[in-house]
Amino acid sequence: MDLYPLKLVTVIGESLIMRDIAEKGVKLGATGFTITQVEGDGPRSSQNVEIAPGGKTLKVEFVVPTDVATTILTHVSEEYFEHYSIVAWLSDVMVIRGALYLNGIK
Amino acid sequence: MTDRTVISHKNTWPENAAQLIGKTKIVLIPFLVGLFTVKLAIMLATDGSQVGRVVQSLEKNLLTPIPLCFLLGIFCSKVHAGVSIPKELYYSIAIFLLMSIGFVGGHELAHEYSVHGVATLWKPAFVTLFLGVLTPITSFCVLRFMGKMSVADAAGVAAHYGSTSAVTFAVANAFVEQAQHPANSFLPTLVTILECPGIAVALLLGAALSASERAKKAEALGTPLKASRLREALYEVVTGQSIMLLGGLLFIGFVSTLFMDPKGFQPFYDFFQSKGMLFRGALCIFLLEMGIVAGQKLGDLVKIGPFLVAFGVLMPLIHGFIGVYLGYLAGLNLGGCTVFGAIVSSASYIAAPPAVRMSLPEANPTYSLTAALAITFPFNIALGIPIYFEMAKWVGAH
Repeated sequence: MDLYPLKLVTVIGESLIMRDIAEKGVKLGATGFTITQVEGDGPRSSQNVEIAPGGKTLKVEFVVPTDVATTILTHVSEEYFEHYSIVAWLSDVMVIRGALYLNGIK
Repeated sequence: MTDRTVISHKNTWPENAAQLIGKTKIVLIPFLVGLFTVKLAIMLATDGSQVGRVVQSLEKNLLTPIPLCFLLGIFCSKVHAGVSIPKELYYSIAIFLLMSIGFVGGHELAHEYSVHGVATLWKPAFVTLFLGVLTPITSFCVLRFMGKMSVADAAGVAAHYGSTSAVTFAVANAFVEQAQHPANSFLPTLVTILECPGIAVALLLGAALSASERAKKAEALGTPLKASRLREALYEVVTGQSIMLLGGLLFIGFVSTLFMDPKGFQPFYDFFQSKGMLFRGALCIFLLEMGIVAGQKLGDLVKIGPFLVAFGVLMPLIHGFIGVYLGYLAGLNLGGCTVFGAIVSSASYIAAPPAVRMSLPEANPTYSLTAALAITFPFNIALGIPIYFEMAKWVGAH
């Protein structure tokens, strides 16, 4: 079993923008993404009302090589950090069949 | 570790009871004071006086299941009661309510159309369109020049108040039916017409006025100017749930009434109309959840400041009166004027928030959502609707 070192990009924010972020992530080089509905609280959470459309909190995750991870995080921070309730981070992961996640190899 | 966590969450009973009593007071005292004031006013007001009649209408409205379920929701959220309406049920009820209003509305519209043609329809439709354009502008001016809010915030709130709330329509409709003054049959059509223009006007206003601010900021920071997403936002409004289901079912109800055999049509009508039973019951569950959400938002009243709180009560009254009066001039009946006043004064919290969030991200959603959900909506269902009813009587509708 071979394990490949890759990066896990996690972005959590209001559902209104998360679809766009997921799709943009794919355009920027990710081979896929996972979206989960989550719950939480933070300084800007009161902006969200769950009964209003776009008011849920979603988590989007990408497993990508370092350069793609940086591009995605730059895009997210430039585009959304100023006005939306959002949090993003990067972590190291070891992935089985990691070659699949490298850019251009499918 | 686990044990300790569990214990720390459990309050001992005296503490818990004290907390419960404290929180109960927050909800019950204003309610009892309100009820007492209403009673006192009834006693003081001489029979037949205008104030006396308004007060009697208020009392008749407040002690009915729909507002009481809303109040129960607020109470539950304050005492952290174990009531939570599953979100999926809430969404399902929203879909049913919209479809039911649309379908029954379309059916009634077809009747109206086959009897009178467009003669009775065009004036109310025109007035609705006019008010859809007027209300966001008046709201924006009040917020911007009297409330000194930023362009984006003022436009954001104005978009909510320019559009309408279908649930307020449903509650107002139930009220006038209980009062034995059913509204004109084409009111659901007017709700559909009123949904979009308000949001569009406010967002255009906001986008036009904040464009220069954005350009300056981008220049100062040296970042590229972000493209406005106005077009996407407007597309979102037009294709949103309210318009698609309400407008779509209105069309379906209209067409099927005209072209379908009445016997074949009846089962559909029975389901959606169900003598108002399903509809009102569902509305009670819906309002319970709305109460819980509004209760959670009550804490934000401190954040939005007294101006917006006053705005959330006074602006609906002004818009409501304009709605009632223009509705009367357009030929609506007593129930029609009341419901029309209610929909003109109400603030959207379904169609407007995502549209505003997309095209004016710098606007703070706490302002608009708290004003629409925690102030204007409760005000309208508890006090506003009976007041519009009396306004309609006063202007001479019958």
